[in-house]
Amino acid sequence: MKSRTYSLLSLIALAALFCCAWVAPAYAEKIRVVATLTDLADFTRAVGGDLVDVKSLATGVEDTHGVPMKPSFVPIMNRADLLVLVGFDCEHAFLPALLEASKNPRIQINRPGYVDCSKGIIPREVPKSTDHSEGDVHPYGNPHYILDPVLAKTAIGNIYNALVGFSPQHKAEFARNRDAYLAKLNAKIVEWENAVRPLKGTKFVSYHEHWPYFAARFGLNYFGTIELKPGVDPSPRHIQVLVSEMKAEHVPIVVREPQFPEKAPKRIAEQAGATMVTLPIMPGGVPHTETYIKMMDYIVHTMVAAVPAKK
Amino acid sequence: MKIMTALVTLCLSFLFSTTLFAQTLEDRLKALEETVEKQGQIIQEQRGLQESLRKQEQTIDEQKKLIQKLQTGAGQNNPSSGSDGTATGPLTPTGEMQQQMQELVEKVDQVAEAQTRTFPSIFNPAIGLVGETIFGYRGKGALQTGSDRPGGFDVFQRSVELNAAAAVDPYAKAYAVINATADPVTGEAALGVEEAALQTTSLPWNLELKAGRFFGEFGRLGYIHDHELPFVNRPLALAQYIGGESRTDGLQLNWLVPVEHYVSLTVGAGDQFGGDNPPNAVGDFRHGSGLNYWSRLSTFFNLTPDIALEPGISGLWNPKTDAQWADPGAANPPFPAVNGNTFTQRERRLYGADLVLSYKPLSNNQFESVTWGTEVLYSDNRYDVTDPSGSALPSSTVGSVGLYSYLTYKFHRQWSTGFLYEFLENEVNKQDKTFAYSPYITWSLSHWNQLRLQYTHTDHNAVSGLQSDNAVYLQWAWIIGAHSHGWQQR
Repeated sequence: MKSRTYSLLSLIALAALFCCAWVAPAYAEKIRVVATLTDLADFTRAVGGDLVDVKSLATGVEDTHGVPMKPSFVPIMNRADLLVLVGFDCEHAFLPALLEASKNPRIQINRPGYVDCSKGIIPREVPKSTDHSEGDVHPYGNPHYILDPVLAKTAIGNIYNALVGFSPQHKAEFARNRDAYLAKLNAKIVEWENAVRPLKGTKFVSYHEHWPYFAARFGLNYFGTIELKPGVDPSPRHIQVLVSEMKAEHVPIVVREPQFPEKAPKRIAEQAGATMVTLPIMPGGVPHTETYIKMMDYIVHTMVAAVPAKK
Repeated sequence: MKIMTALVTLCLSFLFSTTLFAQTLEDRLKALEETVEKQGQIIQEQRGLQESLRKQEQTIDEQKKLIQKLQTGAGQNNPSSGSDGTATGPLTPTGEMQQQMQELVEKVDQVAEAQTRTFPSIFNPAIGLVGETIFGYRGKGALQTGSDRPGGFDVFQRSVELNAAAAVDPYAKAYAVINATADPVTGEAALGVEEAALQTTSLPWNLELKAGRFFGEFGRLGYIHDHELPFVNRPLALAQYIGGESRTDGLQLNWLVPVEHYVSLTVGAGDQFGGDNPPNAVGDFRHGSGLNYWSRLSTFFNLTPDIALEPGISGLWNPKTDAQWADPGAANPPFPAVNGNTFTQRERRLYGADLVLSYKPLSNNQFESVTWGTEVLYSDNRYDVTDPSGSALPSSTVGSVGLYSYLTYKFHRQWSTGFLYEFLENEVNKQDKTFAYSPYITWSLSHWNQLRLQYTHTDHNAVSGLQSDNAVYLQWAWIIGAHSHGWQQR
């Protein structure tokens, strides 16, 4: 009996020790926002200004579908007032489990704190069937719409609405911040469109299908992907076919996203006589791309530099 | 341009494929005729598609112009309207236009939202099916190795698992895992409920309650299904001390400690704990001592952005296990025998400490990672002992240790390799020791199709009376339907 009591007390003491090791700080006054990816974090900071405390689950270098499911995210999500996500099942590999583990009813799906930025976006590449013979398809369509800066404005609008919904007394400030950011973004869009205009119709391939919205916005021709299917590595046969098609169609650019190995894109570019460029898919993906605007600057200028003959 | 390219490619493909295999000139002509006919059909279809696209573009342009017109009108006539487009003031002609515009925007939003909706079957649970077959060759027979599988060549359909999960209501979700396992001797598949539990989703104070049949949280791999293990077989220590997967019929409460650091505390109570352990007999009246109690405390440290440490401790206590064997229905209770004496478990205690140290580079964790996992269990069991004549001997307390440690290196999105070391002292006779060494290599063709080849050398010491042996396993596991990236499998 004595030893049983001892065991029980030991367990309780250990639990208490763990609990006391980290003292909970007083909750901050700011609106606590968790964004899944760094572009959404950037937008939220731009609209929320000093009124928000934004944390991003991704640092920027991760694959948008492969952010590691770290337990350290759980306390952050547990405290969050708002969860800002891409939607279209972009975060299906890590977000549902993290949401469940967070035990935060405010940010669960269909609650006001669940801010799905895809609201109002008409998706591209909606699959006709969600059979896994087509790879790791996104049943709601391609989720990489934020690489189109015009569609990014819809995401910003959704974030603005969520912030206003959570803190209506700060509506004027959020509106001011949003309008200032949109003005800056609009000017940049014009600049980017002008920069990319000489590349109109230029074909390019990428490792994963990140770029259909980007291509459509800037008039580029998205030729194909190195992956055999979404989430499925290329077979030698697929690479062979891709290279011969690229040669036949004179595809000048191979885009490698930094999350994927360099070997295959580099070899394909060499064999097809194309130029390989490494482009981020969210801010922070490569150096000097800490914000969305800086990232888009980098993408546009790298693309333009990759095809000097067309300038 | 794209359509033309597709057409040319298609034509060339048809020409090539049909002419290549035509055996005679007549065949070739026939094939060519067919090809031309098909091309005609395709061209017709493409023209229809082009026409349809043209009409759609026209409609979109018209709608855009209308919206622009309405916006211009609204902007010119009502400069005071908010930047979010909220209409203010009475319904003047301008107000009417604004209202029309609002209605139009709402309609467009509805259409856009409808596109993101899924099927009417959304209320059905997410359903997935997992299959797992083990092809094996073991150098010695079951009597010599103590295995429940025969020696020599063996094909074993270890599991066919049907998973279903869905929200019950705003307050809870439920899931079930129905498993069919082949009998080791007859090969007959027996259907069983592996898990069927309700889990709350909206309790306050960071609490979560689970009730029903589920895998109780003990250790790191105890509650992982066989096909999700990083190697082919469940470690010997878990198989013997827990009895396989940590299945229980009970209640479990998890608390996410409300501090900045991740700390998770779980406590539970259940009728049984572990797949091979029978539930405690109900009898006429059961006291609390007739149940199993368990607890787990785990935390997590980011040592660097790429390196993480996840330690945990667990405890299991069954104060009165002799009630298990008092079940009158158990005709042949599995009393273990050592040196001719029979051991009847009276009390069961199990302590565990586990650690996972992982290197997962953020930038390419799907292509490269290193995981080191170790779990040490201490089994502290109390036994009533009787000699072969049935006379009672002094009761015995056996404290035995079991552990496993593995290192897995992922070097490609599809490939990983690793090594598993195991050590086990028999829970009844700690002098009986087993060692096992298992290198393994895994080929994940995709998320849903995985092959694993494993070699296992098992050493028993003289006390065990068993013989050392070698085995080779090829595990083939697949998933169809819904699959979740669960928190426990992280």
